[in-house]
Amino acid sequence: MSIGSPGSTVGVEDHPASAEPVRTAATPHGKSPSRIAFDRLRKDKVAVTCASIVVFFILIAVFAPLLAKLEGQNYSTFHTDLVDEFGYPTISFSPDHWFGVEPKTGRDSFARWVYGARPSLIIAFLATLFGTVVGVVMGLLAGFLGGWVDRVISWLVDFVLSLPYLLFAIALVPIVESMRGGSFNLTPQEQAQIRFYVLIFVLSFFGWAGLARIIRGEVLSLREREFVLAAKAIGVPTRQVLFKELLPNLVAPIVISASLSLPAYVTAEAGLSFLGVGLVEPIPSWGQTIAVATNWFKADPLYLWLPVIGITVLVLSLALLGDAIRDAFDPKTRR
Amino acid sequence: MLYFVARRMVSALSVVLVTLIATFALFFVAPTDPAGAICGERNCTQQRYNEIKANLHLDRPKVQQFAEYTAGIFTGRDFTTSGVTQHCAAPCLGFSFKNDRPVTEMLKSRLPVTVSLVAGYAVLVLTIGVFVGSMAAKRRGTLGDRGLMTSTLVVSSVPYYIVALMVALYLTILYPILPRGEWHPPSENIGKWFAGLLTPWLVLGIYSCTSYARYSRGSMVETLSEDYIRTARAKGLSDRVVTYKHALRSGLIPVITIFGLDVATSLGGAIFTEKIFGLPGLGVLVLDSLNSYDLPVIMGTVLVASVILVAMNFLVDISYSLIDPRVRLT
Repeated sequence: MSIGSPGSTVGVEDHPASAEPVRTAATPHGKSPSRIAFDRLRKDKVAVTCASIVVFFILIAVFAPLLAKLEGQNYSTFHTDLVDEFGYPTISFSPDHWFGVEPKTGRDSFARWVYGARPSLIIAFLATLFGTVVGVVMGLLAGFLGGWVDRVISWLVDFVLSLPYLLFAIALVPIVESMRGGSFNLTPQEQAQIRFYVLIFVLSFFGWAGLARIIRGEVLSLREREFVLAAKAIGVPTRQVLFKELLPNLVAPIVISASLSLPAYVTAEAGLSFLGVGLVEPIPSWGQTIAVATNWFKADPLYLWLPVIGITVLVLSLALLGDAIRDAFDPKTRR
Repeated sequence: MLYFVARRMVSALSVVLVTLIATFALFFVAPTDPAGAICGERNCTQQRYNEIKANLHLDRPKVQQFAEYTAGIFTGRDFTTSGVTQHCAAPCLGFSFKNDRPVTEMLKSRLPVTVSLVAGYAVLVLTIGVFVGSMAAKRRGTLGDRGLMTSTLVVSSVPYYIVALMVALYLTILYPILPRGEWHPPSENIGKWFAGLLTPWLVLGIYSCTSYARYSRGSMVETLSEDYIRTARAKGLSDRVVTYKHALRSGLIPVITIFGLDVATSLGGAIFTEKIFGLPGLGVLVLDSLNSYDLPVIMGTVLVASVILVAMNFLVDISYSLIDPRVRLT
């Protein structure tokens, strides 16, 4: 085994198999499993296409104010002059309003659409983040410590998984609102804010359990392996065993679970908003727009189709990307 | 076996008990104001507020309230509103003051809708879904299989409510190819009942068939590569006998597990279908109660749905060990 530069010290030469293995582009060995999976993913055309679409939506969400400014409109300004006395918009695609205006209020559709990408993505990413962190920690603790910790956490997991999640999400909304003084005493802005946090809480609360169960199972088999026993034998503290020894071996299930929960959360957020228990005005959201637009679908199909296309394309590409990521980490699944 | 059943039973009951406590705590102990919510914000006088509070026993200690609620589930209880006493019969899940009816009665009137919906759905996924999945597994790797699997993946990745909404708006209203979703009790007119539920069944069923096809394909692919299948073929059994008698029987086991939980979830979670097709089921009841802040109804529905889910979990666990002798009873 040769070590990098010719001037390397004798000491290193003496211990060729020492700590750091040499990784150069020429040596095919020594790729980490994540690296291999990533390489597989890069060759997957579907995955690359979906990833670019997802990035496109993220860019839209990030630069929503800029895009709206580029158009020269604002998502909350009413243009009552642009709707007739029945509430139908009098303009469609136009240089001033790129996607026309909403029925009744006459707010700019394009601005509302780009801003609508924001809550979906923020809620989905935050819920995934919280759910993943809690799930991993709980799973690690349950699997590694065993005993009563395991029993308590496993029971909690079973408990959460046996709750009807959609109904609980719906039920939590009025409870949290009345804790804050009832929906009548809240300004729309406050109510929208509360709904936003309730959604993140509900989604992550029901999201961690599945991952915790998977992680627990993996840890149960990993903790009997030699490298963990060795680490324990030389007195590595538990925390370090958990996060330095076990965690790197759990990257695959964590990444897979996170990438599959993203589309699920986008779907759930928009679905709850569609039912009227998710986001509310004045936060523009696609799900809520769909609910309103069903009343206008004959007269103003564009109003309905904008958010429908937004959600469908975003969820579809997130889901297909998640599926591709799973295949890349675990090629056995595709048979 | 008996020990296993007993242990599962205890764990199921513990979940039910905690769900009961948790929902009760959420609705009545948390700093919420159920009496205020029932009384309404606009024309609520102090006298009416106090009366509601007394009738609901909200002025008593929380533990006593909980004991009364729990006792009501088993023995029933009485409620008094503005001088009139109403009896809430045995499985009493509380009293809806907005509607002046016991919650149990309201749930009972909505249950046939949701059950009809889920029953038709169950038939569709178990026949079409499993059939398509095993067909694909038999032809694994062919163009048809790959096309089918790709399309099921794509379909099941689109949010369900979008599909349902588009079908409802475009195929039943704008271009009335399919009958509109409506509810008619089957006892009145079975033909109307069927026609009104046809579209929701088809949409819900066909959408979910995609994931069932994927499950059963995966499970069948595994089973078909087992040694005993090879033996069966070597014995000279016909292809049909091998596939449907030998392979499908054990290949279906994981699918049945998922199916059990799925049906239980759908009973409480067919909200989108009910809302989009205008069927007055349990889900719509919850949404309506939400708009009027009718907390007892929401709580009752959540409780019933949780119990159904836990019971189904328990049944699936038990039947799993009965169907599949390989499962160790630990």
